[in-house]
Amino acid sequence: MAEKILLVDDETDFLEVMSERMSARGMEVTTAESALDALEQVEKGGFDAIVLDLMMPGMDGLETLKAIKRKRPELQVILLSGHATLEKGIEAMKLGAMDFVEKPADIDALTEKIHKARAEKMVLVEKQMETKLKNIINARGW
Amino acid sequence: MTTTTDLTGWTGLQFFGRTTASVSHELKNALAIIKENAGLLNDYLLMAEKGIPLKPERLKIVADRIDQQTRRADTLIKHLNRFGHSIDEPLTTVDLNDVVSLLVALTQREVSMKQATLQLSMGESPMTVKTAPFWLLTFLGHCMTFSLKMLGPQKVLHLQVEKVADGTRIIFTPLSGLHGAHQGEFPGEAENALLQSLDAACHIDPDAAALLVNLSNR
Repeated sequence: MAEKILLVDDETDFLEVMSERMSARGMEVTTAESALDALEQVEKGGFDAIVLDLMMPGMDGLETLKAIKRKRPELQVILLSGHATLEKGIEAMKLGAMDFVEKPADIDALTEKIHKARAEKMVLVEKQMETKLKNIINARGW
Repeated sequence: MTTTTDLTGWTGLQFFGRTTASVSHELKNALAIIKENAGLLNDYLLMAEKGIPLKPERLKIVADRIDQQTRRADTLIKHLNRFGHSIDEPLTTVDLNDVVSLLVALTQREVSMKQATLQLSMGESPMTVKTAPFWLLTFLGHCMTFSLKMLGPQKVLHLQVEKVADGTRIIFTPLSGLHGAHQGEFPGEAENALLQSLDAACHIDPDAAALLVNLSNR
């Protein structure tokens, strides 16, 4: 089954070409040009990973990351930045980003990270299901 | 103890750093798009080797994108180069319209990050003024940052360059919230040091919702 990816960047030309390259690699890609668009898409659900630009007009990447993690904590977020400093990378990881990549990113390396992101998400979703089942069993005294 | 010269120097250095970082960020974006389109061409070639025919219309789209982004990068570098050369002469005669146009080009990213729009009204060319171009750009850069912070809800900043009786003037308008708490905030210590070096004057007119910068005839 194809990975479902949400690609977020304010540069339309970047979104178009990345979307085409990722689709050619078997991924199902949805694009968003702003943080608000991205959060609306996240609300609809169904994504395995989000590739998110750090610097965008309005709400920046780190604020968007926080908002995504609040809505869907199991979603794996890969941040893209034109200027990846160690400081920003650490802050991103502390806020729950799965990875932090400097632009221009190598498509094959990014694809690998997306495969990994999907696997991480599946593990988290399974854990969530287990916890829910345990709670139901405990609640009913089985 | 920090002298006016130290403060001016430091303020100029900060503006230089901030501006080159902003422009280089834009350059990276343009290069990223060029790189990905080059990669897409490779993808098409790999598909062709596997028997999927090349589509000329797709190749045209990719070629156009590369061309457009190369022009974008070239324009950015041209502006950065002009900015770098603005420090060549400590005092020289310039066309103020050119200086303000360069300011607009250099602060494009700052404006778009605030989700604002800029409208520029230039005065009759040439609008010559004897000034220190780099320090003028630095001061106007500070005016731009303050104006974007104080922008009204419409998020449209209007820059006007005009001749006045004793020199030239640049107006940043319409700004909101200039009464009360923000009085005295601008110009601050750094801006006043720059104004002293430029032999220029700046004042905020809350009733006109404007920030005005006056450059006298030297």
